[in-house]
Amino acid sequence: MSEGAVTVLVELTEEKGIEPVSRECLAMAGKIAGACGTKLAAVVMGNAIGDAAGEVSRYDIDTVYTLDHPLLECYESELYEAAFLQFYTIARPCGILMGHTLLSIDLAPRIAFALGTSLVTDCTGFEYGAEGLCFIKPVYSGNIYASLLIRGEPFMATIRLKSEEPALPSQKRHVEIVRVPVELDRTGAAIEVLERVVGENRGADLQSADIVVAGGRGIGSAEGFELLKNLAGMLGGAVGASRPPCDLGWVSPAIQVGQTGGIVSPSVYIAVGISGSMQHIAGMAGAKTVVAVNKDPAATIFKIADYGVVGDFREVMPAFTGAIRDRRKGGTTQGNRT
Amino acid sequence: MNIIVCIKQVPDPEGPPGSYVINPALNRVEARGIPPVLSLFDENALEAALRIKDTLTHDEVKITVMSMGTRISGAVLQKALAAGADELVKIEDGALESATLDSHATASALASAIRKKGKYDLIFTGRQAADWNAGQVGIGIARFLGIPAVTLAGKVTIKDGHAVVERVTPRGYEVVRTPLPSLIAVSNEVGALRYPTMMQRREAKHKPVTSWSTADIGLYGNPETRLVVKGFFVREMRQGRCEIIEGDTAATAGLNLAQRLMHDGVISP
Repeated sequence: MSEGAVTVLVELTEEKGIEPVSRECLAMAGKIAGACGTKLAAVVMGNAIGDAAGEVSRYDIDTVYTLDHPLLECYESELYEAAFLQFYTIARPCGILMGHTLLSIDLAPRIAFALGTSLVTDCTGFEYGAEGLCFIKPVYSGNIYASLLIRGEPFMATIRLKSEEPALPSQKRHVEIVRVPVELDRTGAAIEVLERVVGENRGADLQSADIVVAGGRGIGSAEGFELLKNLAGMLGGAVGASRPPCDLGWVSPAIQVGQTGGIVSPSVYIAVGISGSMQHIAGMAGAKTVVAVNKDPAATIFKIADYGVVGDFREVMPAFTGAIRDRRKGGTTQGNRT
Repeated sequence: MNIIVCIKQVPDPEGPPGSYVINPALNRVEARGIPPVLSLFDENALEAALRIKDTLTHDEVKITVMSMGTRISGAVLQKALAAGADELVKIEDGALESATLDSHATASALASAIRKKGKYDLIFTGRQAADWNAGQVGIGIARFLGIPAVTLAGKVTIKDGHAVVERVTPRGYEVVRTPLPSLIAVSNEVGALRYPTMMQRREAKHKPVTSWSTADIGLYGNPETRLVVKGFFVREMRQGRCEIIEGDTAATAGLNLAQRLMHDGVISP
């Protein structure tokens, strides 16, 4: 393995804070660096990111590289790739970790192919043994895991959210902040961004929600989802769906939960009219408590649920929602209850 | 306009748990009792191509679906022809076992096949395959062919000799324009693949099918791979310990469920 550091691409939130998945990557990269005996670095990309770099330097790492350029204000494939490759030439990291995000889904393979190395996407862990560093990822809809050895340098992996306890700031070592000179212009870029539109993608809300109310084919229609929206609204949660309602156009594909949709790990996952295909379960198995409502007692979802009701959701859900609403109303009007 | 759609056959990911078995001798995963299907996002990719064909009525649009692997099921790929693709190119060879190819080898082989095919204005792939979910082959093909790649496409139209693509972003979407030829990796936001009529199913049987071997696309020996599978293991996703909440009627059961969840502190009252 080369002398370079294990390096995390730290993604920033809208407010230029650190994305939670990037803090998880910092934690995992720290363990990898410890196992391999290398240094740990972070790289931050964007425009006017001095404060963010300062924030990143509060973590237990050796170096923070900043790629600060007006053309990096928003993600654009070709510009980000070009800037990252300039960073690579200067820093020569031995490995690169990124969160498995909409940004890295586009950027990480570009970097891997440009550098002629290999990448394991959507990993949930790693193992370090006699043969070297292997990344672990779920395959075949989720309950089989593959351990993959990368031939080539640098090693690259994208890490799934909630795979690792996020790193916390700690000032253990002296952190060096290195501003990488970035030379960028649009002349080489073939792809032009015409417009950016905000809204309609509720996947982000779904991922951070503490309670998810999800519907499947059994819901039967777009109208059926209204019942679930009411419940989610009252509980302060988000609505999700298995694949069929998205394919059938009842709900936006942005709220699909599953191996081929979004992965969620809420405290409570209420699965309504969902039979429980493997690829769906792979997307919600991290939930603390699973509640299933399905009229088929043999539905697979009951095998992984904690609580279940066998019955038609059109009858079960209004009574369920009503009972919680009544109790909450009762709670406020009665004041102190013992 | 010539469009190539790369499609892959995978074991049905909507199958029940326990459908996959690890074969340690061959160091691979085998599907048991579930049929092969077109990978989900590849169906979306074909749908994106068909919509372009629907709208470009003044231009002749020819859609070629291309699939690579061993033991490709005729029935699965017939579906692509029935839905509206004009021809099928199969690259079938023992050396192309999907379980042993990484994204680099797959992209390299597909790029060779596309070069042999020759004329193309657009190449579509799904954003990732439903078995390994690597999501790298599209970008790899574009890299080997030296053309731009746009990923996470939710909608694709053609305007003024360019592809205009709505890309899914964390907060919504962005509209980008890319010159032709380009590669576009499609997400499920495009919409489900249309359902063929009986007539289309019958016609599909007469559409041209070409079979190539690895030698036909200039590949000799086993493709170079850069990822090595060191092993597979199973991790139970959740324990089965479901408590069924009863009730005289479904509504009562719903009421009882709510009370139980509040009692157990799962949902705060």
